[in-house]
Amino acid sequence: MLGTKYLPLIFKQVTRQPARTLLTLLGVATAMFLFITVQALEQGVTDATVATGKETTLVVYRQNRFCPFASRLPEHYTSRVNRIEGVASVVPIKIVVTNCGAALDVVTFRGVPRENYAVVAKKFTFLSGSMDQWERRSDAALIGEDLASRRRLKAGDVLTAAGVSAYVAGVIRSPEPQDQNVAYVDLKFLQQTAVRGGDGIVTQFNVKVHDPAHLERVAAAIDQEFRHDPEPTDTRPEKAFVARAAHDLVQIVGFTRYLGWAALAVVLALVSNAIVLSVQDRVREHAVLQTLGFRGGLIARLIVAEGVLLGVTGGAIGSLAAYGLVYFGNFSLSSEGTSVAVRGDATLLLLGLTLSAAVGVVAGLIPALQASRRAIAASFRAV
Amino acid sequence: MALIQCRALTRRYTRGDNIITPLDGLDLDVESGDFLALMGPSGSGKTTLLNLIAGIDRPSAGSLHIGGVDVGTLSRGKLADWRSESVGYIFQLYNLVPVLTAYENVELPLLLHRLSRAQRHEKVATALALVGIADRSEHYPRQLSGGQEQRVAIARAIVTDPGILVADEPTGDLDAVAAASIMDLLKQLNGELGKTIIMVTHDPRSAGHAQRTLHLEKGRLIEATAAAVH
Repeated sequence: MLGTKYLPLIFKQVTRQPARTLLTLLGVATAMFLFITVQALEQGVTDATVATGKETTLVVYRQNRFCPFASRLPEHYTSRVNRIEGVASVVPIKIVVTNCGAALDVVTFRGVPRENYAVVAKKFTFLSGSMDQWERRSDAALIGEDLASRRRLKAGDVLTAAGVSAYVAGVIRSPEPQDQNVAYVDLKFLQQTAVRGGDGIVTQFNVKVHDPAHLERVAAAIDQEFRHDPEPTDTRPEKAFVARAAHDLVQIVGFTRYLGWAALAVVLALVSNAIVLSVQDRVREHAVLQTLGFRGGLIARLIVAEGVLLGVTGGAIGSLAAYGLVYFGNFSLSSEGTSVAVRGDATLLLLGLTLSAAVGVVAGLIPALQASRRAIAASFRAV
Repeated sequence: MALIQCRALTRRYTRGDNIITPLDGLDLDVESGDFLALMGPSGSGKTTLLNLIAGIDRPSAGSLHIGGVDVGTLSRGKLADWRSESVGYIFQLYNLVPVLTAYENVELPLLLHRLSRAQRHEKVATALALVGIADRSEHYPRQLSGGQEQRVAIARAIVTDPGILVADEPTGDLDAVAAASIMDLLKQLNGELGKTIIMVTHDPRSAGHAQRTLHLEKGRLIEATAAAVH
C-alpha cells in the first residue's frame, strides 16, 4: 500500500505528458464503454433466457411456427389445458408485433382476456395511470416502462403501431424482463382490431403450474393432449421459449462476449504502453529517487499506482457513459415477439471499475518490476 | 576510527569481453568534518569512488566502512535506508524532478520518514532558507536558473540532515559567479554545520575550497594535497 502523501507525486507523474495521458484515457474509456455495453447485453440475455429452477410458467405455441403472425391456436384450447393435472391457471394471449425479425425498436401488443388481468397484473407496479383507467376503456393499454421511455409515452397518450391504436391507461414496471417492452390490451380488442386478428384465435397460452418440479411433465401432457388436433402445440418453459424464439439474438450476443474481452485487452495494451513509455522516459529520475533512499519496492508501487490511476480514470469515464446509455436508453432487442432488455445496474458499474483497476495493476507490474531492479549507477551511466 | 574507511577498495565492470577496473585497491580515510576534493582525468575512478561512498554502487572487492557500518555488505533495502539517513547526493546536472516545485523536490526525501505534514513543512522551509532560495519555493525547475536549481538540489541533499554530502562536479554546469556562490554554500555547510563533504571536480578553483585534494589516476590515489582553508 501507499501513503496518501505520495498521491500528489503519482498524479503529477501521470499528467506530466498531458497529450499522451488524454489519448490513453480516451482509448481506455472507449474500450471500457464497449466492454460494459457488451456485459449489459449479456446480462439481458441471461435474465431473459436462463432458468433458475423456480419457474412455474409454460408457453404453449403452435407447433413448427416461429412468429406470432403464424402461430394461430383456437382460444377454446383454454378449457382443455385447464383440465390437465398440475395446471394452476391458463391465460390465452394474442400477440401482435411491428416486426417479426430481430430489431431494436419492436412494439409488442399482448391481448389478454379482461378476466385474467388480476393474474397478469399481480406483479405490476404502476408508475403512472391506474388499473381503473384501464378498466374504463376497451382500447386501453398498460405499457412497460422501457417501451414507454423509448416511445416517450405517458398515461393519456395514444400508442399506434402495427395498425393498432391504443389508449395508454398506465405505465407499469414488472420484474419480468418481457413485460418491460410490452403493451397489454384486452384480448377481444386486439382480435378485432389487428390485421390477421380473428375472433377465437390466439397466438399462445401462458400456463401456470402448481409445482416447478412438474414443469416438464405438464408441458409434455399439454402437447400430448393436442397431438392429433389440426393445430398441434409445442410447449416449453417460458425462458426456454424465449431462448428458442430469440435464438439468433442469443448467438449474436454470445459472440459479442469476445468483443468485450478484446476491449479489455485493448485497455491493457493502452495502459501498458503509456506506463512503459513513461518509465523509459524516467530511468534517470528513478535512479535519483533510489539515490534519495526510495526502495525498489516503493518505486514499483508508485509505478503500479500510476497504472491504476490511468485505468480507473479511463474506466470510470467509459463505464459511466455505457451505464448512462443503457440505463436511460432503455434498449431492448426483440425477435419473434420476445424481447431481451439491455440491462445495466450498479453491479455492472462496479465490475467496470474493478476490472479497470485490475488492468491498471497488471499493466504496471512488468515496467514497475524492471524499474525497481535497475542498478542505480548503471542507470546514471545509461542515460 | 575515521568516519569513512576504504581498504583495498576495488570496483570492476564487465563491458562486452572487457573487464574494466575504474577503482583498483584504494585505501582512504576521511575524518568527520573533512571537506575533500577528488580530482583526476576522466575515467580515473573519481565518480566510481563517490558512488561507492554514497551507497549507490557496490565494491567488487575490499571493504568500505562508513560510520562503523560495512556498507558493502548491506542488502538493497538496508542500503536504501542507510542512504536516506546518512548521505546527501549533489549532482552536476541537479537532477530535480521537473513536474515538482522546488518545495516538493526538497520534500521528496522526507516522504520516507515518519513525519507529519507540518514537520515536513518546517524542515523544507529551513533547508530552502539555508540555501537562500526560500522565495522560489513554488517555482518549477524550468523556471529557475542553473545556480538556483543547484541550490534546490543542495537543499534536497541536506533536508534530512545527513552527516555526509557527496557532490559530483556540483559547479560543472554553472558560470563562474554561480559556481563561486555554490562553493561558498558548500563551505558554509562544512564549516558551520559540520557536514563531511566529498566532492569530485575538474576545476582547481573549486578544489581550492576543500581542506584537502586527492588526485586519482587509473583507479589509484597518486598524491594528496593539503590546501589552506579559504
